Amino acid sequence: MSDANNPLIALSDAMAAAVEKAAAAAVTVNARRRMPASGVAYAADLILTAEHVVERDDDIGVVLPDGSAFAASVAGRDTGSDLALLRLERPLAALAEPASQAARVGQMVLALGRPGSEGIQASLGIVSAIGGPVRTGRGGLLEQYLRTDAIPYPGFSGGPLVDASGRVVGINTSGLARGASLSIPAALAWRLADTLAKHGHIRRGFLGVRSQPVAIPPAQQSALGRQQASGLLLVGVESGSPAEAGGLLVGDIIVAIAGQPVTDPDELLASLAGDVVGKPLPVEVLRGGQPATIKVTIGER
Amino acid sequence: MRSMDFAAALDDAMADMARRVQRCLVVVHDGQRGAGAGVVWRSGGYIVTNHHVVAYGRSSAHEGLQIILPDNRQLQARVLAQAPHYDLALLKVEADDLVPALLADSRGMRVGQMVFAVGHPWGQRGFVTAGVISGLGMAETENGHGPVPIIRSDVLLQPGNSGGSLVNASGGVLGVNTMIVGGDQGVAIPSHVVEAFVSQAIGER
Repeated sequence: MSDANNPLIALSDAMAAAVEKAAAAAVTVNARRRMPASGVAYAADLILTAEHVVERDDDIGVVLPDGSAFAASVAGRDTGSDLALLRLERPLAALAEPASQAARVGQMVLALGRPGSEGIQASLGIVSAIGGPVRTGRGGLLEQYLRTDAIPYPGFSGGPLVDASGRVVGINTSGLARGASLSIPAALAWRLADTLAKHGHIRRGFLGVRSQPVAIPPAQQSALGRQQASGLLLVGVESGSPAEAGGLLVGDIIVAIAGQPVTDPDELLASLAGDVVGKPLPVEVLRGGQPATIKVTIGER
Repeated sequence: MRSMDFAAALDDAMADMARRVQRCLVVVHDGQRGAGAGVVWRSGGYIVTNHHVVAYGRSSAHEGLQIILPDNRQLQARVLAQAPHYDLALLKVEADDLVPALLADSRGMRVGQMVFAVGHPWGQRGFVTAGVISGLGMAETENGHGPVPIIRSDVLLQPGNSGGSLVNASGGVLGVNTMIVGGDQGVAIPSHVVEAFVSQAIGER
């Protein structure tokens, strides 16, 4: 077989080209004591990285692919999703390009990092699973995550997971899920980064209730017009909370918020994770066995 | 259908590459219990392996060293030259029908390109493992010879991979795998460094 039509050589060349393209927008982030970490060029003066690698607010350094080093400041951070934005004084030459399509299980990917002066580093894998929502153990809830079998080398946190064309399908981090490596899907990461750029933090909705899942009998399911086997029984309503102000009572069973079913506490968290702060949302409940809809203006946690 | 054709052609290319590389790979027995891999580097019976494969556990550097060829022939080998700081050794066997490896220019390497490690991990002959070049850099060596250039890969190297080849998608040898340094990354000594060592060793004689 000649080299010109050898598909293995074509694949190898394509992956090296993908690394080269993505490497132009992958930087070193020096913001913790021992191991440097990685970041991606998100906007002209903004670096997207993992929040857990930004251990200090001052004396943060970013090293660009050409080796030039610059000071950076924290423009926004969110422990719940483990994302942080750093602001540079100097415009970036190349920006990371997020993939337009969502990742698929089985897709070939490369995990990249620039943890030191040796240059870009890569490891090959495939998307092994797509999961979520998951509680991140840092008070947050990640709507979706990617797992891959690419090896997460030290300092890869904050670096990109790229497809065979060098577009970013995720941001790598070992700071969620007890040190296990996962990737935040690019669409979600870019959306969160957009909020971080505007507000400096992620606004998460707050209701102010304590709840536990309970079964909904078939008769009440038909009264609701929802085939939903469980809802959330309110066992506590904080005084002064948005829930109290809206008129929710202990004993109410929440079955849906803004039309989306709520069957367990994770779904309640997920319903408050979007851009809902300050918005009046219809909360569907069973009160004394009868369906009722109550408008609650969501607060900020 | 097009993707099926591509997958089949890719399989063929992989199998071609593996066959080509396995022909030039030998087993190096240290005469006791240790074994590693070796690469037929030049015609005339010149074989490159790791220094640590041949250096330990023997009273003399010329005693009991055995090579097993892909066709299972066993030959006595002697150590021509050693470079402990690169973890390299050059062996010579008396056979002129060994097929030398195709050498690739290790100076044109790119991070992300596909590589395959070929060796005998845990005694499994001619085992092929796939990955990519994960980094290019320098590593410090123990005995004060300064840093040496290395190829890092995400290929999992295990005992028995030592002295085997790291090849590119066309089966060209990019380097010789070693386990002296590297942490959780596989490390290989680039073939241009190996070639310089071999030329010098043969030229000096």
